[in-house]
Amino acid sequence: MKNSAVITIPSHPQYLSVLRAVTAQMCMLSGMSERAVDEVKLAVDEACSNVMKHAYRGDTGRKIMIQFRIVPDSFEVIIEDNGIKARPERIEGRDLDQVRPGGLGVHLIKRAFDTFTFDKRKKKGNRLKLIRHTKGYHDNYTDRKIRQKDS
Amino acid sequence: MTIILIEKYGKKILELSGEIDMNASPVLRKELMTLVKKGVTPLVIDFNNVSYIDSSGIATFVEGLKGMMAFGGKLKLAALPSAVKEIFSFSKLDRVFEIYGSIDDAINS
Repeated sequence: MKNSAVITIPSHPQYLSVLRAVTAQMCMLSGMSERAVDEVKLAVDEACSNVMKHAYRGDTGRKIMIQFRIVPDSFEVIIEDNGIKARPERIEGRDLDQVRPGGLGVHLIKRAFDTFTFDKRKKKGNRLKLIRHTKGYHDNYTDRKIRQKDS
Repeated sequence: MTIILIEKYGKKILELSGEIDMNASPVLRKELMTLVKKGVTPLVIDFNNVSYIDSSGIATFVEGLKGMMAFGGKLKLAALPSAVKEIFSFSKLDRVFEIYGSIDDAINS
């Protein structure tokens, strides 16, 4: 049986605290460690902040739908908006050795989730699917980065 | 989030409490950059009661640090809870910020 929950929040940053509370509760239901809960909560916050900034360009009157699914072996989060299409090929975090504001959010999302995919089938807006493996084989972010570099 | 400016042993301390996210960061940025532009140095940031920080909060402090460095000022971060410190560490910013275990350590440094 799939355990899932859906919330819709206005695209106003004041609702991010509500989102974080729900995210943390869903993470705890899935049995994550306290550290994992913190990582996932921050990552979902960052993903929805990006929707507010980039997809809706600061328009606070729009909606963001967030679906959480606890399935065997993974924790999934699907974030949908009806804003400007993201260009996944242009989404890249800054080099962490550079000291400058911005460009950190993508790293924080990819640290918490093993899979970060935009659904190409969605015609209008964006559907971002985030998957974190939960059965003891969640990739370590640093190891994954090293593996990507080596391949 | 609440922001209070206090003075201890002649040093300015910005006491923060609550969550620093995309909703709070613009308010914090305004307060911080006002102090930076006034040339307040050293400026100690008290994180003791900060329960959460996201990338917008981190970006705010990077901007503050850059503003300070432009005139040779010092921005000191103190009493970071482990979850907050971990974000600075992950983003490798613990190498560029002066981070202290306590307010007294920051003041006496």
